[in-house]
Amino acid sequence: MTYFLALLAIVGWGAAYFAWTRREQYVIAPMQDEVPVDIAPDNSATLDVLNSLRLGVVIVAANGEEIFRNVAATEVTGMRHADVLVDEVVERLIRAASVGNAGSEQIELAGPPQRVLDVRVTPLAEGGSIATIDDITERWKLDQIRTDFVANVSHELKTPVGAISVLAETIEGETEDELVLRLVRRMIMESQRMGRTIDDLLELSRIEMGGEMLLAPIDLNDVAQEAIERAQPIASRQGVSIHFESKTDQRTINGDYFQLVSAVSNLVDNAVKYSNAGGEVLVTTSSNNDDVEISVQDKGIGIPMASLERIFERFYRVDRARSRGTGGTGLGLAIVRHVVTNHGGEVNVRSREGEGSTFLLRFPRISVPK
Amino acid sequence: MDELRKGFHHELDVARKDLARLAAAVIEAIPRATTILLNGDLDGANALISDDDRIDALSVDLEERCYQLLALQAPVAGDLRQLVAIVKMVGDIERSADLTVNICKAARRVYGHDLDPRLRGLITRMSEQAQQLFSAALESFEENDASKAAAIDDMDSFLDGLQREFMRTIMEENSGSHIDLQVAIQMAMVARFYERIGDHAVNIGERVQYVVTGWLPEHKGAARYKQGIPRPNDDTGAIPIVLEDN
Repeated sequence: MTYFLALLAIVGWGAAYFAWTRREQYVIAPMQDEVPVDIAPDNSATLDVLNSLRLGVVIVAANGEEIFRNVAATEVTGMRHADVLVDEVVERLIRAASVGNAGSEQIELAGPPQRVLDVRVTPLAEGGSIATIDDITERWKLDQIRTDFVANVSHELKTPVGAISVLAETIEGETEDELVLRLVRRMIMESQRMGRTIDDLLELSRIEMGGEMLLAPIDLNDVAQEAIERAQPIASRQGVSIHFESKTDQRTINGDYFQLVSAVSNLVDNAVKYSNAGGEVLVTTSSNNDDVEISVQDKGIGIPMASLERIFERFYRVDRARSRGTGGTGLGLAIVRHVVTNHGGEVNVRSREGEGSTFLLRFPRISVPK
Repeated sequence: MDELRKGFHHELDVARKDLARLAAAVIEAIPRATTILLNGDLDGANALISDDDRIDALSVDLEERCYQLLALQAPVAGDLRQLVAIVKMVGDIERSADLTVNICKAARRVYGHDLDPRLRGLITRMSEQAQQLFSAALESFEENDASKAAAIDDMDSFLDGLQREFMRTIMEENSGSHIDLQVAIQMAMVARFYERIGDHAVNIGERVQYVVTGWLPEHKGAARYKQGIPRPNDDTGAIPIVLEDN
């Protein structure tokens, strides 16, 4: 009997303790669920400010519940899958922040278009945490351009100098006439290459300054014809035919004839160089209400998508090994871009590897009294 | 009135979110694998191959949670269809991740060999199309959009056409001795990997249709079989490849 009573007492005490702990949880639980209003943006002015930011902002309460997300954080990338992946990182960092650990992570998304995002989460003193999502794609690209430029410029300028130096050293101790002749020819080639690079750099520098422009009404057909004439010898050597088509008689722009010919020549040259034997290059002039356009289209090897954004950078090479064979300096398209910018126009490119490229230059049209 | 089975529906939402994350990882892996292949990026190949273990672990975990929910929560109607569909879709997504790994392995095998620009262009096109199919599958799943899910099958025809075009180009290259036979074989397999990724996206689309409508496109074929009607020739033939997509 005593044993039974003792057992009953223990069970009763256990039940009471259990109920008491449940009661504690019951009391505490709503407090945990309660949204800490002091960290939630609660007036329209604050909301407007947060929503006008380009920086994504997510605020999370101590219980892990998301209490605010600004517009920039709602559609971070414009790509559904990328937003899902960004959310995953934000959630992971917020979990770490809930135990007091601030954290950050850089997300590189393949796209296309390629995007780089910087996610940072900081625990808040009042509980909860704040996450920021910063699109650093442009900064990241600029960093890449700067790093590559230093490497590319030193390659383009130092390679011929190094080659000439080595060739000269070899000639110094060489007595065989045939070999000396071959080495000298090679030296001439390398020095010509360096000369072309310097010429292009000077031309680019002149065009960049924009101060020496001799503006006059220019018929884009004249520009196209001269550019085609210049490229004709190399086109004949490569077995590439160049065709010209004018789709408009409203093709006058205010521009510098020599700069324009230089730009279009660069495009026609490239189109010929990167076409296969028997290929065709089509140069077209056309117009719409406000603009005159000149396009250069080829059906050659095309440009990889990853390089399309970068081909107008100085010394950028899609394929360094292949480019050396074409004799280009790596500055042609940089010149094109600057010429077009100086004329208040824009340049666009469409290309597919193996299918060809189309470069389109668009300039503001001027009306010429008849 | 408070929702009944709140905990179960929360678990179901988490499972849906995890499936979306897996699909997003594959959508991201497709262009990554393509860049690795085209640039001969061995470090990138190693990184993507290593990451497959993470995808496998997430897939297994998600599948097991679905089985637990099926066993412990006895879902019915739409909830049951969701869970059954997620179990099927996890398999398709995990397999697609494996296919991106296979593309990276092919990149290692052809390392040092130059690819013809035409082949490179077609690889890029197949990659873009496979990615679009998977993106459409993810969107249709997240939005429970049966119409979008149904369109994926038609989108896949274009990818099939690109694969045929790619095979033709390889044959031409091989007959002209412009491509090493080993490389040609690897490239043919790569084309097949993209095509299979497209097929898995179609499967996901079919499962989305099942979740929304309770009807599977396979029912059409099954009904045909039961009635003894022969399968119509649904080969789409050569898809015209246009130079410019204006």
